[in-house]
Amino acid sequence: MQPLANVTPLKPAARAGAIEVKNVGQVFKTRSQDVVALEDVSLEIKPGRFVVLVGPSGCGKSTLLMMMAGLRQQTAGTITISGAPILQPDPDRVGVVFQEASLFPWLTAEDNVEFPLALRGVPKAERRAKAQDALKLVGLEGFGRRHPHELSGGMKQRVSIARGLVQDPPVLLMDEPFAALDEQTRMTMGDELLRIWAATGKTVVFVTHSLTEAVYLADEVIVMSARPGRIVDHLQVQLPRPRTYEMLSGDAFGSLRDRIWRHIRKSA
Amino acid sequence: MSARISAKTLRHLIVIGLIALWELLPRAGLIPELFLPSLSSTLIAGWTDAGEYGHALAVTLYEVVVSMAFACGGGILLGAIVGSLPRPRVLIMPMVSSLYAVPLVILYPVFTVWLGIGSESKIAFASIYGFLPTMLATAAGIQTIDPQLLLAARSMGATLSQRLVRVIIPAAIPTVLSGLRVGGALVIVGVVVSEMLISSAGIGYLISRYRTILDSPHVFAGVLLVLFLAIGFNAVIRWIERKAAIWQTGTRAGQANDDIATGAMQPAT
Repeated sequence: MQPLANVTPLKPAARAGAIEVKNVGQVFKTRSQDVVALEDVSLEIKPGRFVVLVGPSGCGKSTLLMMMAGLRQQTAGTITISGAPILQPDPDRVGVVFQEASLFPWLTAEDNVEFPLALRGVPKAERRAKAQDALKLVGLEGFGRRHPHELSGGMKQRVSIARGLVQDPPVLLMDEPFAALDEQTRMTMGDELLRIWAATGKTVVFVTHSLTEAVYLADEVIVMSARPGRIVDHLQVQLPRPRTYEMLSGDAFGSLRDRIWRHIRKSA
Repeated sequence: MSARISAKTLRHLIVIGLIALWELLPRAGLIPELFLPSLSSTLIAGWTDAGEYGHALAVTLYEVVVSMAFACGGGILLGAIVGSLPRPRVLIMPMVSSLYAVPLVILYPVFTVWLGIGSESKIAFASIYGFLPTMLATAAGIQTIDPQLLLAARSMGATLSQRLVRVIIPAAIPTVLSGLRVGGALVIVGVVVSEMLISSAGIGYLISRYRTILDSPHVFAGVLLVLFLAIGFNAVIRWIERKAAIWQTGTRAGQANDDIATGAMQPAT
């Protein structure tokens, strides 16, 4: 493997936000047996796409997301983000939004958003400015000094999203971020997320249990099967944007949701 | 809001009523002075021998402070180790839990044999007495940290030491403080009780000595002093709690915290 002088490497900007999952597998070793959580998963996500992972409980979709985040190592295959393999958490390339309750309750909203910057010693003034921008982006201007317990569930998740975006990574990974919210808040947050996504142009990978949410949000839906997790379908959602509430009752929407449901019912 | 204020006023009224009864009942001859000397004679007894009580208080305070340093320092340190590492936990926790059920005061005579009847034996006893709840609370506080918080910190690139300083310690503070509250109270108990049993100085010693000569006003002056010590300690802990655990929600302080936080929003930094 000699480096060739006449080959110009791709500009990082061209690949920034691209995700490539190649033959990835995950085996959990327990005392009695090995459990295959994921088997030979491959997929390619282009920069700026909104991709949703769905599947029955225990299909390994969250595991796959954690591996993309560098929080867990796969036992086979490779995952590259922005053209380089991801071996450990790298907040410059990947921001992660978890389910509720991952904000630090002793910090204010803005201190929570600043947290990843504080870890790397970014000066206070710069930190504050970036956190304000991120809070403004998620529609929480003026709420920076509140503690998490003074915020509603939806507002907390907005803070989490701001925290995931504050370092401006090209990729945002979201692990069932709205699962703990009530349905109305969930709908609003979906629209908010789409607005933020359109404004920032991030690649979003979003895990959910809700088929409606999946079709409503996604450019592409990836359907996974129950253990061992495999990709059973990869749908393109051609619905126009911006998505509207009326689309939910349309035929196109319904047939996409049915198609996903049939896969899940088969494998669950 | 008005209900809370009236509850507070009521509490004050009860305390004032009790103080008044303390003065009136013995004076009216309803309770013999030997059982309960009136408040005024108690205060006079304390005042006339202020020097003696002052010296005793100094001795007791010294013992309490040193014991608290040992009990809290040791309790937090060992609790942190036991809470974060499974191996020592399996080894130590069963022992500590069963030790907790033993009336440790039976060890005190042994300590006086080893360390004499001076402050050292009191400090040793009170330290061990207060150490156990502090350690157990710290261990519990660290064990019960939401793993999601640690995962989130890791996703943002936090190193192990950053996770310790920025996540584990602040997350454990409320539980540790509640352990300190119990542990600190037990330190005071331990010091005073051991002074009452075998010693030559301190408030407990004074109480015990005046009791043997049936001088009730002087006994009660000592009791009052211990009471103030405990109230003072409680005030300090509450102050620390308010400073450190402002984020803690829940039944105890959630509502009050909201008030504090919204109040603090205006005069920002």
